[in-house]
Amino acid sequence: MAQAVEAPAALDGADLRRIAADHARIRRWRRRRNELARHCVLALVTFILVAPFYYVVLASLKNGTEIFSYPPKLLPIPPYFGNYEKLLWDTGFLRWMFNTLFVAGAVTTLKIFLDSMAGYALAKIDFTGKRAVFLLMLILLMVPIGALIVPLWSLVSGLGLTNTYLALILPPLANPLGAILMRQFILGLPRDLENAARLDGLGEFAIYWRIVLPLIKPGLVVLAVIIFTDQFMSFIWPLIATTSDDLQLLTVGVAALRAHGGANYGLWSASAVMSLVPVGIFFFVLQRQFLARSLAGALKQ
Amino acid sequence: MAETVATGLAAGAAGRLRLSPAEHRRLARRARLRRELTGWIFLGPMFLCFVVFLLLPVIGTVWWSMRSGSILGGTQFVGLDNFLQLPGVVGAGAAIRNTLVFALLSVPLILVGALAIALVLAGIERGGSIYRFLVYFPVLVPGVVAALIWLFLTNVDFGLFNEVRRAFGALPVTWLGADHALTVLAVLDVWRNVGYWAMFFVAAIIGLPTELYQAAELDGASAFARFRHLTLPLLRRIIFFAVIVATIWGLQVFDTALVLTNGGPGTATTTVIYRVWLYVFASNNKVGFASAISLVLIVAILALTLVQMRLLRGRRGVD
Repeated sequence: MAQAVEAPAALDGADLRRIAADHARIRRWRRRRNELARHCVLALVTFILVAPFYYVVLASLKNGTEIFSYPPKLLPIPPYFGNYEKLLWDTGFLRWMFNTLFVAGAVTTLKIFLDSMAGYALAKIDFTGKRAVFLLMLILLMVPIGALIVPLWSLVSGLGLTNTYLALILPPLANPLGAILMRQFILGLPRDLENAARLDGLGEFAIYWRIVLPLIKPGLVVLAVIIFTDQFMSFIWPLIATTSDDLQLLTVGVAALRAHGGANYGLWSASAVMSLVPVGIFFFVLQRQFLARSLAGALKQ
Repeated sequence: MAETVATGLAAGAAGRLRLSPAEHRRLARRARLRRELTGWIFLGPMFLCFVVFLLLPVIGTVWWSMRSGSILGGTQFVGLDNFLQLPGVVGAGAAIRNTLVFALLSVPLILVGALAIALVLAGIERGGSIYRFLVYFPVLVPGVVAALIWLFLTNVDFGLFNEVRRAFGALPVTWLGADHALTVLAVLDVWRNVGYWAMFFVAAIIGLPTELYQAAELDGASAFARFRHLTLPLLRRIIFFAVIVATIWGLQVFDTALVLTNGGPGTATTTVIYRVWLYVFASNNKVGFASAISLVLIVAILALTLVQMRLLRGRRGVD
């Protein structure tokens, strides 16, 4: 390679081919080296990010004395299942899990319809006040429920809803993110389709139901994933809205395990692991849609 | 009226349907009314929830912030007294300080880390999806559960951090003591959120025009030069967006502080929302102060939102 560059005058066709082959080899080698370096960096990063999970799973399979022993056992052999048995049968864990899935499911289902309808109106129908409504939604988009707990609590208790599922389901419906996202999705649809439908005499609702909804299905799935995970993780509002054990959500129940009944590391680790089971399943099934969650921010623009 | 309809029909009967101006106006008005009605019917259900459970509470916060007493009733109007007294009220100053320090610690770490991961991840050729899966997984962990997990990392006796320190012959550290608690909380937030923004940046980087990079490479620009003079400027707006949104999220920290440290030791990790909750629901009924400090947070978040909206409008102007 170096020789070839030094003696450019004496190049014939064979030399040129050789040089080209050398170049290609070096390129390939360099690319492979870069790829390897990237893999090493990523392996290290993911190891650091995932290690905490392994440590907790490990702790959950140890009994009370093993957790504290030093040096720590790095493999849980023989595994101890007492923590899980205690969690599942002696606490309200299964009930909390049911409540969380039920409330998150209800909020997701309702919001999919409300938001896609609102998004349709904001994208395709001209009516007075549309711009003002949209602007108001954008402005209040980031106001968190945690900053509104005082008026929300007095409102919900004024409506007589404390300690009902409705108290958990209604306030999250207010979040305007879904409507804004759906407006964006529907704006991206070609106008010809709905014009053709309109010429065929379809009413506004039929256009929404039969033309628009099927077309924005990918968007609806992404929205459902966003709403469901946000709901699964929500904490402060369920903490305040419910005092009855029967209505506690997973996050609130797990926090209560931590707050009451003294230090029980075995039980805590088991509850952490079990809380992640549904998350893991959903994530595994809907990986692509979950990752699209990150795009939601960009879509908002 | 009947006459004009008749002439309209007559014109139609004559071969071409031509509406009289009055009839045209009437039909246009009806179509418009119908459009208005359908618009509001479609928007209505969502907008009702939005008004009742978001707009009304924001206004309610302003109302409550000028009253004093208990949330259960019997409050009285005190004007701006709550705001004037706020700096002197137990815990209010510490809460605002803690929240700001938390955001200032966590947001830069999250975004620099996320950008670094994204740059490496976007360039990878094979096996990227498994890394994406693993990097993103902590994002889906509820704050309460994340805090529980971190109890196992930060425990003085058997926590992972101290095990690692011992392996290197260093002395164990009281991670949740007054010196480190807020930092640990910020690092926990980095662990939880770095994957979210990493995926966000990956999407942005993949969308960048490749011709520019090929040209730069032909011109002999080093990898760092390409990052410094191409990637960073191209991603400027995206990064700015991320800074603002991550900051807004950082200002809302509550559940990890409650579960990991109970806001302590003392008030070392008591954040703004934590303080609101304490004022109203955990101890004495300082509903006025709770609303006043909530309003400070809301105004800060609205200000950040407006900055971002201006920025995005600017982008639209350029494009």
